[in-house]
Amino acid sequence: MYQPMLFLHWKQIKVALIPFVMAAFALPLVSIQGLGLPDDPELVSAAAYQMLMAAQIWLPAFPVLAVSIGVTLALSSWNWDHQLNHVYALSLPVPRWQYATLKMGAGAMLALLPAAGFWAGAHLAAASVVLPPGLNAYPNALAVRFFLAILVSYAMFFAMAAGTVKTTMVVVSATILALLLGGGLNDVLASFIPYFRDTNVPQAILEALVSRHGPLEVLSGSWTLIDV
Amino acid sequence: MNSAIELSDVGWKAGKSFALKDLTIRVPVGSIYGFLGPNGSGKTTTIRMLMGMMKPDHGKIRVLGLDVPSEMPKVLARVGYVPERPHTYPALTVGEQMRYHASFFKNWDEGWGKELIDRLGLDPARKIARMSKGETGKLLLLLALSQRPDLLVLDEPTDGLDPVVRRDVLTAVLDYVGETGATVFISSHLVHELERICDWVGVMDDGQLVAELPMTAFKNGIKRIKVAGAPATTVENAPFTVLSREQANGSASVETWIVRGWQDPMRTYFTSAGMTLRDVVDLDLEEGFVELLRSSRPKTSYRS
Repeated sequence: MYQPMLFLHWKQIKVALIPFVMAAFALPLVSIQGLGLPDDPELVSAAAYQMLMAAQIWLPAFPVLAVSIGVTLALSSWNWDHQLNHVYALSLPVPRWQYATLKMGAGAMLALLPAAGFWAGAHLAAASVVLPPGLNAYPNALAVRFFLAILVSYAMFFAMAAGTVKTTMVVVSATILALLLGGGLNDVLASFIPYFRDTNVPQAILEALVSRHGPLEVLSGSWTLIDV
Repeated sequence: MNSAIELSDVGWKAGKSFALKDLTIRVPVGSIYGFLGPNGSGKTTTIRMLMGMMKPDHGKIRVLGLDVPSEMPKVLARVGYVPERPHTYPALTVGEQMRYHASFFKNWDEGWGKELIDRLGLDPARKIARMSKGETGKLLLLLALSQRPDLLVLDEPTDGLDPVVRRDVLTAVLDYVGETGATVFISSHLVHELERICDWVGVMDDGQLVAELPMTAFKNGIKRIKVAGAPATTVENAPFTVLSREQANGSASVETWIVRGWQDPMRTYFTSAGMTLRDVVDLDLEEGFVELLRSSRPKTSYRS
């Protein structure tokens, strides 16, 4: 069952996935463009600093690409079933949880393609730049982070997309509203409840999600190919 | 297990506009059961319930002796389903869709599937998105039959198909039934189509089952009769059911009755009741169906 499910998902997404694989391959290469060591040894430490700064510029592009891939994979997982009102899926003799697991597994397997593209691009980029002493390239670690970031965003949006469009809209709208109005709401609550004066609850929740050991930590943190 | 499908007091309500009302259906094992009814009468809703896609508000459903929806995967493994609208994945080819479908069914018959491809004139390399309605209908039937099901549930399988494709589809179903003895539950609003193939018939109208009987009883039991000297009040103690009464054209003393459950020896009833039977006319299935629906509806709300 898994193999045909994987094939089905591939047929659905290949047009979108191939450009993503290419982008994932190209992004590490683009991020090191123009970097190199000067001939004058006295300028090497300045070049190292410049390399780190240049790496920082590209930092947001990596997670953005990973999330875009994850979202695309998730939406395409359920797209056809939604269009067909799930009639076909529900007429298959498998429990719903097994069907959803097979579908999710197929998407996760396809996420390996852009991750592999990224890994190859990162290795090529690391090999094509001469690094000053004290700096190192981390293509494997960055590729693993990229893959995990795809999986995390894929899993989140897969769960949302499994529901109706209405459910997805409610969840997305509630999240956006919480991000926009969370601070203001905390101020209002602070005038009535002392706890909210000492703690900014929306901020604390956000930090818990994206900080170290948080479930979305993989999307933040260090995304640089070149680091100390 | 005497019934392939059993619905007992099944009820379901969709807002104020539509409801299935205490539906009780028995489909005998090995029968071809025609599920008749006008559009919007609740046929597809009923089918979706017995396929476990919708949950009734109350009542019990058993399919092939198994409980719906709690034993749904076991039920679906033995049921070939052709839904009202095409539901296959458009980016796949016929062959790919068959392989995908086959991976879910243990009893999938590869050889029979290939034979059906030839018989139904389908091209395995053809993309589903580019297929006509008739070709898609054939593919859906091919998928359902190649599962080697004990029960075929066909929801208006020939709706919108041309006569040639319709004949191909029905022939394939009959051949399969002839070979395996499977039960068929087929819904349609095309009465004449079911007349040829069904041995049982259930008639739905406005969310209710208004009749369930063997096809022979349905075909032969509904008559138009002309009666003279009928009382103005309700006919009592009649051995048949009077579906409707109206004044016959050109005669004030003669009435036209549509009756159900008619048998020839019942002629004697009229003499004993002080009436005269003038004429007995056979109705074809479509006329019988229309009269049955008309009699089940309040006169003010009759829809043509």
